[in-house]
This record gives sequence, structure tokens and C-alpha cells, in this order.
Amino acid sequence: MVVEFSLIVTLATIIVLMACLNGLVAYLTLFERKISAYVQDRVGPNRAFFGIVQPIADGIKFLLKEDVIPAHVDKFFYLLAPAIALGTAFLAIAVVPFGSTLPPPALVDHRPGSTTFGKMVFPSVTLELEEVLQADRKFSQDSKTPSYEEKLKKYNATFQCVVSPGVDIGFVFVFAVGSLAVYGIILGGWSSNNKYSLLGSLRSSAQLISYEIPMGLSVLGVAVAAGSLNMERIIHHQVENGWNFIFQPLAMILFATAIFAECNRLPFDLPEAEQELVGGYHTEYSAMKFALFFLGEYTHMITTSFLIVTLFFGGWHLPFLTSPDQTGLFAILIKVGITCGKMLAFIFFYMMIRWTILRFRFDQLMNLAWKVMLPLSLLSFLALAGLTHFRPLGNLTPWVMPPISLGLLLGAGLLGLILPKSPTRSHVPNLGHGSGGIGPVCQTNQARLEKVEF
Amino acid sequence: MDFDLSTYYPILIYAVLIGCFAAGALIASHILGPRKDTKVKGMPYESGMDPLGDAKKQFDVRFYIIAILFLVFDVELLFIYPWAASAYGAETSTLPLRFSTPAFVEMVLFTLTLLIGYVYAWKAGVFQWR
Repeated sequence: MVVEFSLIVTLATIIVLMACLNGLVAYLTLFERKISAYVQDRVGPNRAFFGIVQPIADGIKFLLKEDVIPAHVDKFFYLLAPAIALGTAFLAIAVVPFGSTLPPPALVDHRPGSTTFGKMVFPSVTLELEEVLQADRKFSQDSKTPSYEEKLKKYNATFQCVVSPGVDIGFVFVFAVGSLAVYGIILGGWSSNNKYSLLGSLRSSAQLISYEIPMGLSVLGVAVAAGSLNMERIIHHQVENGWNFIFQPLAMILFATAIFAECNRLPFDLPEAEQELVGGYHTEYSAMKFALFFLGEYTHMITTSFLIVTLFFGGWHLPFLTSPDQTGLFAILIKVGITCGKMLAFIFFYMMIRWTILRFRFDQLMNLAWKVMLPLSLLSFLALAGLTHFRPLGNLTPWVMPPISLGLLLGAGLLGLILPKSPTRSHVPNLGHGSGGIGPVCQTNQARLEKVEF
Repeated sequence: MDFDLSTYYPILIYAVLIGCFAAGALIASHILGPRKDTKVKGMPYESGMDPLGDAKKQFDVRFYIIAILFLVFDVELLFIYPWAASAYGAETSTLPLRFSTPAFVEMVLFTLTLLIGYVYAWKAGVFQWR
């Protein structure tokens, strides 16, 4: 009476997915280097068959380089950190659809006079399962629609392009596991016993947890609209009602910004700001241990790209081309292609942003998360919840949301112009001319310099 | 009827395989890579300077405050999620119709309560970094 799983299909899916992820990450590094090169008017990697086997050479080099474990580290956590970084990034993709899916069937209570009439019941916990199923069979006969059992049979017989189909907590699982990545970073920075690493990991943890909140708030609207957290159902909702980004543009923008921060991509790459912190939390890591961090980071990018495609851009759906009824092998391949195409488009967007927007200062980063994105996402969510509850325009209600989103965005911009700027620095010492820096250390240097007579 | 966890078994299998992969990669690199420890190689890398003192020093108290605030807001989110997933939706809503309005009012009140805390934190200068 529930979603079944077959061990062989699951194992095959997992192995294919892991192989594909590893290959994709390897070639994304090449992609990124090529894009960086063309943006900067260079050629980029052009050795090793025009760069085509460069990622493989890199991978072999990672394996064969010296595995340095510095003398001053906390060995256990030092080795555990890259494994956590990789593990959480890989595990998060377990519930994210990367191709064709069907919504898991919902068992609706059709018993006349029942307290939960017309609502979904969970077959694994309900006490009166037989009665509900009987009413459902009768309802399907009367209305000529497939019953729950038929739908479940079809669902179980169809291949779903997810590692773990039918998980009801859906994207909350992705957030939960994805936020565990903070542990990898914190442990790496702390156990390295290096000042740069520690600073990088502190910044990183503050950044990751700050952006988790706008991220979670902005997708609440999607959950309200679809009535579920399950990703397959969210896709199905979009297939029937149109993609979410049309109806919730502000939520999409906030979510995209938050996932940039979650992935430590460039406008938010303070944890590993090369010019300030050498390598940030992975300064002391070398060879394969560094590669695991790297792999984790890129996998996180892929996962979040799949996530935004699923939540806001309709997953495998492309109007006039794909429909839920197509379940043949060819259709599955087409749908996987569409999903991956959308995902790659988003990754291309990631990489172009890297060369478009400069890195934030830390206080700007925190201000953006707590003072701008948090209230905006909260207001946008409340507006959507109110609209969904009262339905002022009936079936046209979803179309009210885009103007509200635009209004909120413009209002926030105007407020930013009107409100007085917060003081950037409370104490600026007066150093006279010729001083390169600010602060007490420089001041004493300056004083010392003044005493020395040349 | 007992609660069925079979939709989560693939995740468990996947987690085990990922653990094997991560451990295997670390061990393989340990075995395959050359090793030649020197004293200088074991030092912390601080741009070529000799490190002064231990790295694990005090850090800014604001990191703690951010962590506490995160806890407050994230738990708030966790309370809203079940409502968001069950209140509306064509055939997936589980909330009986007569609870719809009370639940909505409760949710808005809850959010407003949190908003008070948010305004307080802002006024107290928690979000001021400098």
C-alpha cells in the first residue's frame, strides 16, 4: 500500500548518478576555467588535447600528489572534515529529481460525512484504511478517474529519475543535509590550527546559517502553492498550473541569491577569499583531501541548480513538448536532457555572475541577509499566504502575486535610498598624511616613524 | 498499521555508498601519494611568516549572536513548514476545512510575534557589523 523500491534499480540509479556527478564536476572545472579565460580575453586550458582531458589529468594528479598531514592538526577531525563536506553535498541530491517523475499518488478521503472529507490521508498511519480505500474505489468508478490503487501501481511500475522517489519531506531534506555542510567547514577550519583557516570557517559558518533563513522562507511560498514539500508533486503542480517563477518572481530571486551564498560562489565567496585568507578553511588541505572539498562544492552547485530548476522552473517540463503521460525510454531520456539542460544553463549563469559582480564586504553580506532578504522573503510569503487563503480573485488569484513581488522589490529599493545610511565605521583615527592603513597598530608605527629622524 | 519507512531506504543505501567513496578516496590518496615529512612542511601555512602563537584564539562574540538568531528563525521556519505543506493544495491538503481559518490566523500571529523579536534585535544593534 505504499511506494515500493527495488534494490537493483536503486543501486543502478545511485551508481550511475555518482559516476555522472563525478564526471560532471570534473568537466565543470574545465568549463569554468574556459569561461573565465574567455571573459578575461585569454585562451584557457589548451594543452592535453585542447583541454579535453585536462580534468582527468587533474584527477590523477590529486591522487598521486603528496598527502601532507601537517604536524599541528587535530588528525581525526582534520581527516573527517573533507569527508563530511563531500558526503553532505552528495547526499543532498538524493531526493532531487534529475529527470522524469510522476507525482506520488494521494489517497483522498471520499467517505461521506467523514471529518477529513476531501482531504488527503496517509495510508501508512490511518486507522480506517479499508473503508477509505473502498470509498476511493467507489468514487473512481463513479467519476471514471483512476483510483488510488491503480495510480500507485502505475507509480511503482514507472522508473522515477530520483534516487529516493516519493519522499514526502522533499526539499526540507535537501536543506537539512545541505546545512550539515557547515560542519565540514567548521571542523576543517578548527582542526587545521591555522589562523586563516579559522577565520575562513567562522565567516563561512556565519554566512551559511544567515542565508539559510531567507532560503527557507522564500520557498515556503512554493510549498503553499503546491500543497506539498514533495519535489515530484511540486513539478506536477507546475506542469498543471504554470511554472512557479512566473507567479513568485521575488521568491525566485531571493532563493537564487541565497543559493549563491550557500555555495560560496563569487559575490559571496568570503570563506575562501584568496586575496585575504589564502585558501580560507581549506588552506592546510592538499591532494585528495582538497579534492574532496572541491568536489563537495561543485556538487553542491549542481544540487542547488537542480533544486531551483525543480522548484521554480518546472523540472522536466517544457510546454508543448513533454507531458506526464509520456513514460517510455525515449521520453525519459528527453526529460533527463531537458532537466540537465536547464541545470547547466543555471550553472552557466553562476559562472557569468562570478565575473560580473565583485565580492561583498562582510558587513554588507550580513546586512543583505538579515536586513534585506529576511524581511522581503517574510513579506512575500505572508502576501502569498494571504492570497492563497482568501482567494480574492478566484482562479486569477496567482496573477496578483507578480505585481506584489515587483512592488515589494521596488519598495525595498526606494527604502534603501530614503533611509539614512548606517555608519560604516564608528571610530576613524586621524593619522595625518602618508599613512597606508588605519588602526592602532599603524598608529604606533606612524608614531615610531615620526620619532626616527632620517 | 505500522509506519512505513521504505521510501527512505534508498537514502540509507546512498549514504553508505557515499561514506565508502569518501573513505576510499582518502585511503587511496594516502597509499598512492608519496610521503616525505619535513619539519617545515608540518608548520602552519601563514604566507611564509613563522606563526605566532596558537590559532585557536578568542573570536568575535557576534558570531555567537548570529548563531542564536539563526536558531530562533530556523525553528520558526520549522513550525511554518507543516502548515505550508498541509493547509492548501488541490488534493494534497490534509487540514480539515473548519481548521483552515484558525490555522491561518495562528500562523500570521506567530509570524508577527517573531517580527517583534526581529525588530528588537535590529534596534539592539545585532545586525550592526562594525
